[in-house]
Amino acid sequence: MEEELIQIKNSAVSLILDAKDKKELDDLKIRFLGRSGRLSLAIKELSKLPKEKRPEIGRLANEVKNTIEETISEKESRVTKQMSQELKEKIDTTIPGIRPLIGHLHPMTYVIYDVVDVFKGLGYQVADGPEIETDYYNFTALNMPPNAPSRDTQATLYLDTRNSKVKPGEILLRTQTSNMQVRIMEKTKPPVRVIVPGKTYRVDDVNASHSFEFWQVEGFMVDTSVSLKDLFGTLDYVLRKIMGENIKLKFATTNFPFVEPGVDTYIECTVCKGKGCTFCKMTGWSEIMPAGMIHPNVLKAAGYDPRKVSGFAFAIGLSRLVTLRYEMEDLRLLTNPDIRILEQF
Amino acid sequence: MLAPLSWLKEYVDVKLSPKNLGERLTEIGLSTEKIIKDGDDIIFEFEITPNRPDLLSILGIAREIAAVENTKIKFPKLSSDLKPQKKLPLKIEANVSINPRFTGIIIDGITVRESPAWLKEKLIKIGQRPINNIVDITNYVMFELGNPIHAFDYKKIKGSLMKVHQAKGGEKFTSVDEITYRLPKGAVIISDSEKIIDLCGIKGELNSGTFENTKTIFIRVPVEVPVLIRKTATSLSLRSEASSIFEKGVNKGGTVDALKRCVELVLKEAGGQIASDLFDIKKEVFSPWKLNLKLERLNKILGISITEGEVLNLLQRLNLTPLKKAKDAVEVTIPTYRNDLKIEEDIIEEVARLYGYNKFPKTIPHGQIPIVQVPYLKDYEMEKKVKNVLIASGFSEIYTYSLISETDLLENGINPNKSLRVDNPVSREFEYLRPSLVPSLKKALLQNKPCFEKINLFELGKVYVGSNINESEEFYSLCAVSNNKNFYEVKGIIERMFEDYGINEEWAKYIQIFDEGVFFELNFSDILSKMNLSKKYKPIPKYPPIIEDLTIEVFEKITVGDIIGEIKKQSPLISQISLLDVFGSSKTFHIVYQDRQKNLTNQEVSKIREKILHALKKKFKAGLKE
Repeated sequence: MEEELIQIKNSAVSLILDAKDKKELDDLKIRFLGRSGRLSLAIKELSKLPKEKRPEIGRLANEVKNTIEETISEKESRVTKQMSQELKEKIDTTIPGIRPLIGHLHPMTYVIYDVVDVFKGLGYQVADGPEIETDYYNFTALNMPPNAPSRDTQATLYLDTRNSKVKPGEILLRTQTSNMQVRIMEKTKPPVRVIVPGKTYRVDDVNASHSFEFWQVEGFMVDTSVSLKDLFGTLDYVLRKIMGENIKLKFATTNFPFVEPGVDTYIECTVCKGKGCTFCKMTGWSEIMPAGMIHPNVLKAAGYDPRKVSGFAFAIGLSRLVTLRYEMEDLRLLTNPDIRILEQF
Repeated sequence: MLAPLSWLKEYVDVKLSPKNLGERLTEIGLSTEKIIKDGDDIIFEFEITPNRPDLLSILGIAREIAAVENTKIKFPKLSSDLKPQKKLPLKIEANVSINPRFTGIIIDGITVRESPAWLKEKLIKIGQRPINNIVDITNYVMFELGNPIHAFDYKKIKGSLMKVHQAKGGEKFTSVDEITYRLPKGAVIISDSEKIIDLCGIKGELNSGTFENTKTIFIRVPVEVPVLIRKTATSLSLRSEASSIFEKGVNKGGTVDALKRCVELVLKEAGGQIASDLFDIKKEVFSPWKLNLKLERLNKILGISITEGEVLNLLQRLNLTPLKKAKDAVEVTIPTYRNDLKIEEDIIEEVARLYGYNKFPKTIPHGQIPIVQVPYLKDYEMEKKVKNVLIASGFSEIYTYSLISETDLLENGINPNKSLRVDNPVSREFEYLRPSLVPSLKKALLQNKPCFEKINLFELGKVYVGSNINESEEFYSLCAVSNNKNFYEVKGIIERMFEDYGINEEWAKYIQIFDEGVFFELNFSDILSKMNLSKKYKPIPKYPPIIEDLTIEVFEKITVGDIIGEIKKQSPLISQISLLDVFGSSKTFHIVYQDRQKNLTNQEVSKIREKILHALKKKFKAGLKE
């Protein structure tokens, strides 16, 4: 019995190793391991053995079975690979692949999605609002009353009011997504955490770093104890998440009528790595995220009590963020529908 | 604002290197745009924020440097008295409501000539053109101290009268640089007994300016009303260094010092003698004002604990004269040149900026995450769904301008008179708000034609409709174009997109076929309002379906939609029908019969088939192809 099993094993292994193809292997599998294969038949003989011999021979039979199975499976994988190799050798694999026709999302979309994701992680909700806006929400409610010199920094496109009851100068194209601050706050109560991505408009030249239409994302939070330190932490976290953790940032004081204290955020220019180029006006830094603690007058305009709640607000120049991230030297590339640009993203 | 380091050093000791100084000044709010080498000197170019007109002067910048360097400024020494040597007549009819302060003096016997080298050099360094010693001195003192000054030729002031009043509108005014304007109503002006001699706070009149033969001058250092100056300057599109300071708020307490400085320099460089008392007609005393700062609030807003000692020190360096009032309270005194400091938060910023924004720790706010849905909610996940389908179908996304030209409208058959228009467009090319995305996509398609055979583009962006501003409405539009997909392929894409949104509607009406390609445009905001995202799993059938293809001969002009509709009506066991093939008048339909309760038998299916054929014959005179 023992001898027979060993003989089965030896003959099976040598036949398997000599097999030429998958079919031959399949036949061998049936011949040895099948229900009426040689091994199965031998195992059936086990019961005829004296009791004390059975365990030992049983173990041996199992071992033989495992060996045959392993050898077949190894050989199988070798044969398959070889077959694939032979087929590949018949064709020219250097011919470029036939690609599925899949389109490309715009780089702005990728950046907006990233920004939204980062802020969602901090508990912010996303809102959207009108681009055709009243003077009130765009300026007056933001502590920029009529005739405030600060309005000069946001040269405004006004809408034609012919055939309407609206006075010229009352309706404009929003100069900032901050128009949504009071709109949102007056309809809800703190705590508020929200971002507003969107298009904004200003009278400006069209060149490598300016445009009359550009994208911003406004963000603000109001709660019972929000501080300037929290603002710095948020700006730092968000920009590192979006632009990479190794970016260089610095903060500076500035003035926007709707914040006090006011903050400007600079990022080391990614185009020239801080050496100075036309993109960063030779300063090596790019102004990217104006911010500040919400001015008490704005909180009051929204119906909040500045003694009880505080908040911060910030805006990111999305168009600039896109060009910085992808090292695009010209803002106009973002509105150019050339597929040679689009297909890079 | 240009500021030469050499000039700054006259008032403040500078220890920092120009680069470090620039960085520190930027950090505290005086944004350093450029540092330019100019021979032995260094010239800083600063961007001044509108709230800080005091920084439109060298001394103002020196004060900021002194705060950074922790030192004191050296204010120019001024003679204490302005004693007249003689008295020439002058009657001033001031009006403090439109001209809150009118400070002035007469100097007689001067010689107008070219300025001395030191003066010319200083002005040239800050980008000013030297004119003559008198004009240059008034300019110099304005740039030095921040109070604008105008010198009149005293002998040209008829009737020895200066009357401050407002223009009726339409009056002619010729400025010292010989440009003639028509004044807007309300412009603050000075007239003598015959004519207008000054457009206050903006420009002097040519008829009373200082020229070579001027022997006697009247020097005026005013405080103007910001709004009035701004309105007139805006209306005339006429701005000057002076108007830019006045409209932001001049140092109301600084007029006499500026006058003294000016007189001193005139006497020194042009000779002459003081020929009148000091005129100083003013609405009020214009003294420094006080604000209170609570340390607890300061530390709450800033989120750090700055010690009382440090707060006092920082405020002292900013010349805000802090005075400890109570345990937690500090009173500060605001110098008259700091019109921007009005509330406690302003003082908190003063402390924070000099403390150094970059020294703050950075923390993520505590507090409750808002749960209530924000008003104006936008869900980008909805956008992603539709963009995914379009990308997978081969379309690439573009972003185009919302502002388009009249030609763009006309070429697409849109009436410009019924479109929203910008009053002051940056150019004719960007004059109208787009009521549709089709014009932009058409252009994009044409632009890509030379380089690409297969072009598939889409945009998801706002459009703006309405024939006037009262009726204006803006909403998101989804528009796509393909020059290589046929109508049915485009329709299929739309069908697939709206399956995702759970909307069941006939979408063919949104597709347009132009020479350039197949377009579709949808009101995406509308789609979002109709969508139904609730999805529920339906178990897959346990029993196999029976599938058959029927080729139907249709002789009349009957739509496939009608035939499918009719077939479907015949039995609830018909679970799917699609059009497999069309050949001439015969159409092959692929029909799936499915009973969810049991195995269907051929007999049952053949009964339904009979019913279908009967109905098609009756309704459309159509039958099985022989």
